[in-house]
Amino acid sequence: MENLSIEETKYTPKISMNAATGVIEMTGKSYPENTFEFYAPVMSWLDEYFSEKAADITVVNMEIIYFNSSSSKLFFDFFDVLDEAKDDNKIEVNWIYDEDNESAEEAGEDFIEDFENLTIKLVVKS
Amino acid sequence: MTVLEDKLLAELKSLKVESTATIDKLSKDLKRQMKIMARSDKRQQKEYDELQTKLQEVEELSSEVEITQREVVFTMGAIGESRSKETGNHVKRVAEYSFLLAKFYGLPIKDCLLLKDASPMHDIGKVAIPDAILNKPGRFDEAERKIMDTHAQLGYDILSTSDRPLMKAASIVAYQHHEKYNGKGYPNKLSGENIHIYGRVTALADVFDALGSDRCYKSAWDDEKIFKLLKEERGEHFDPNLIDIFFDNLDEFLEIRDRLQDKF
Repeated sequence: MENLSIEETKYTPKISMNAATGVIEMTGKSYPENTFEFYAPVMSWLDEYFSEKAADITVVNMEIIYFNSSSSKLFFDFFDVLDEAKDDNKIEVNWIYDEDNESAEEAGEDFIEDFENLTIKLVVKS
Repeated sequence: MTVLEDKLLAELKSLKVESTATIDKLSKDLKRQMKIMARSDKRQQKEYDELQTKLQEVEELSSEVEITQREVVFTMGAIGESRSKETGNHVKRVAEYSFLLAKFYGLPIKDCLLLKDASPMHDIGKVAIPDAILNKPGRFDEAERKIMDTHAQLGYDILSTSDRPLMKAASIVAYQHHEKYNGKGYPNKLSGENIHIYGRVTALADVFDALGSDRCYKSAWDDEKIFKLLKEERGEHFDPNLIDIFFDNLDEFLEIRDRLQDKF
């Protein structure tokens, strides 16, 4: 399957999803006007990735420095897909944030709380 | 039990399982939504607080810049005046007269305030005039007069390098405050409305104040003599409209003169 690559904009993060290596990365800000429309290709890529042959290990690196509440909701949906796929796939999530970014830290804690069986690591950048 | 009843029970059972799953999912979603909203509210509050603080900082800073600019400009004007042994109050009075004239002339208040701040710099070019000429008692000879008259051009040269609105206005004032309505002034012999309104206003404000003050080369004139000259120069040295405005509102100009009189 094809890789997905989306360039960073003022309102949206840089996204790269590589089916062969199993590395999924999102970096930047996320406060688009229509969040679910923007992430639709991301979600369908993810569905297809797990329904076909996923990589031996899937590593998700997310470094979102600013996000609106629709994006929070979207990330929960995103993790739902990972959560469903985790029994048949080896998945690691790194939620990366700056040490003084309280919102990002709290969001990471919320994800861990909601997805206790998913491997989510909080990675603090100092 | 019949086969039908068995089937019905089985359906009910699966419906129950499905509805439990749906309720579980819905309540999970609901909890998430509440959490997202609470987080978002907290963040918005923090962001708005930060925004207000930053905005206040910017406002304070910009007012600081404005005040500093005004003080520097005023001080520059005072330097120009002190070089010719005049008092700091001369520039203050010229500023106030200029503001009033501009206001009654009908300029937008923003421009009146700009002119008020800019007019004290009208003589800044005098910093480049030799003391011997600047402070000479009595009349200038022709060569001295020529040198003295360069202060308008010198002031313009000093101020016109800046793009700031205040400095631009000041450069116009410095350049044109010795132009005369009839075209017989200097440095460019401009006439009528070819002289910028800032120049026409400051010309009248400056002369009115100079006539009423003691200078190294003359004593202060009395009011009767001053008013006579201003009337004679209506449409000659001065913009006739401004002379009319001046006499129509004479009390206000005299009030400024009284309030800001020189103290020795």
